[in-house]
Amino acid sequence: MPMIEVQHLTKRYRDRVAVEDLTFSVEEGEILGFLGPNGAGKSTTMKILTGFLPPSAGTARVGGFDVFEQPLEVKRRIGYLPETPPLYPEMTVRGYLKFVASLKGLPGRGLKVEVERVAGLTGVSHVLDRVIQNLSKGYKQRVGIAQALLGSPPVLILDEPTEGLDPAQRAEVRALIKGLAGKHTVILSTHILPEVTMTCEKALIINQGKIVAYDEIRKLASLHGQAESASLEEVFIKLTAA
Amino acid sequence: MRTALAIARKELSIYFTTPWAYAVFTAMVALSSFFFVDLLQKFKQVQDMARLMGWEQMPPDFSVYRNLTDGVVVQLWGTVLIITLFVAPFLSMRLFAEEKRNKTFELLMTAPVRPIEIVVGKYLGGLGVISATLGLTIVFPLLLSAFGKAESGTALEWSTVLLGYGGLLVWGATCMAVGLFISALTESQMLAAFLTFSVLLPWMLLSGVAQSVEEPLRSVLSYLSFDAQLQNMLKGVMDVQSLVFFASVIVFSLLLTHRTVEAQRWA
Repeated sequence: MPMIEVQHLTKRYRDRVAVEDLTFSVEEGEILGFLGPNGAGKSTTMKILTGFLPPSAGTARVGGFDVFEQPLEVKRRIGYLPETPPLYPEMTVRGYLKFVASLKGLPGRGLKVEVERVAGLTGVSHVLDRVIQNLSKGYKQRVGIAQALLGSPPVLILDEPTEGLDPAQRAEVRALIKGLAGKHTVILSTHILPEVTMTCEKALIINQGKIVAYDEIRKLASLHGQAESASLEEVFIKLTAA
Repeated sequence: MRTALAIARKELSIYFTTPWAYAVFTAMVALSSFFFVDLLQKFKQVQDMARLMGWEQMPPDFSVYRNLTDGVVVQLWGTVLIITLFVAPFLSMRLFAEEKRNKTFELLMTAPVRPIEIVVGKYLGGLGVISATLGLTIVFPLLLSAFGKAESGTALEWSTVLLGYGGLLVWGATCMAVGLFISALTESQMLAAFLTFSVLLPWMLLSGVAQSVEEPLRSVLSYLSFDAQLQNMLKGVMDVQSLVFFASVIVFSLLLTHRTVEAQRWA
């Protein structure tokens, strides 16, 4: 059974259609790159998967649970990094991570160790006692990722995790995400295409709310009538030009 | 319930790490000490006059000034009540509005937490900060009982003082519940504060409107008015009917808040 299963998912805001008839699935341990131009519906889809927004039609299941019918079961299995990292500027990094850990219902005893663990993974160990509003954008983003990793949920949904990072930090986060493959199922949205080629096995490209390509990355180029050597970027531009 | 407590703890820690709570504390203490000194002066004047003329010669509405409890503390609670009406919206405004503006609302809504736990947690945090604000005013009766003298018994009648103080806490809890609901409706803190204030003030003044209308509307309006319900409690009269009234306002506001948070899932 696939870890994430989306069928005929549609989201309408009054007469505007944000996402139309999406169907895809992600197997356990897989990393799916979620691509598309700005405003294509990437974030909307992620918000539906995490139970923040209800779908207008269609279903989404995570770990076998319907996101609308059994939201708590789904939320227990997901670590989510929204577009804007959801941080409280007044709190210290440690205080914030502890708070999120208790929101996720992690047992109080291992909490300190767990906070240290995710801080180590995301490289924020040395800023744990600083107040979040004084951190640079890159550190804020990393604290956002750390928050999603707390309690190592089986599914990670990361909305543009490398946004605001410098090239070195970007490489670190990429390595981190790659290291999560196998243990976690990951959906990763980005518009930095080389990132997808480097970290993901499969890619899903959406444009104006509809799927335009969904396959293993190495097959994408040949499938869409281009030379084997064509880069993902060329495929992307061709598919989203319409 | 553990998550609700975690949310309450987070709310309190944010109140106390930002200048907000301290600004409100200062306003509360500054304003109430101003009125306290004023009341003391008035009390002294009446007492001096009575010493010259004797209580029999004094106008009957001056009889409250015969003791410190009715002459100072009960009247002070009356002014603290009004100050609370003005400061509570500034404490409650950020509860939900700030989460929405900061995009942290998404964090709460995608964590495995039920909406009711979010609402209860937020409300407990709000109760904590309003109790701390009102807690500062207990210093005035303490001062009076330390330095005041009475011809018979203790300087203050503590049962009356504390019952009135209990009334104040109930009133603070009511303001926070209404403010919590309004804060859940908007992402602008200023708007939340303004709306809360413009709901609480007319509600408070309903008893005034009641004077100018016919029965049976008059009884209904004065029953619904915060002012009329609070009067007895502040004077130290325990009134179950008022407690039921305020408990219903609080529960109703919390239910509305819960609906509003829950509605996010259906938007």
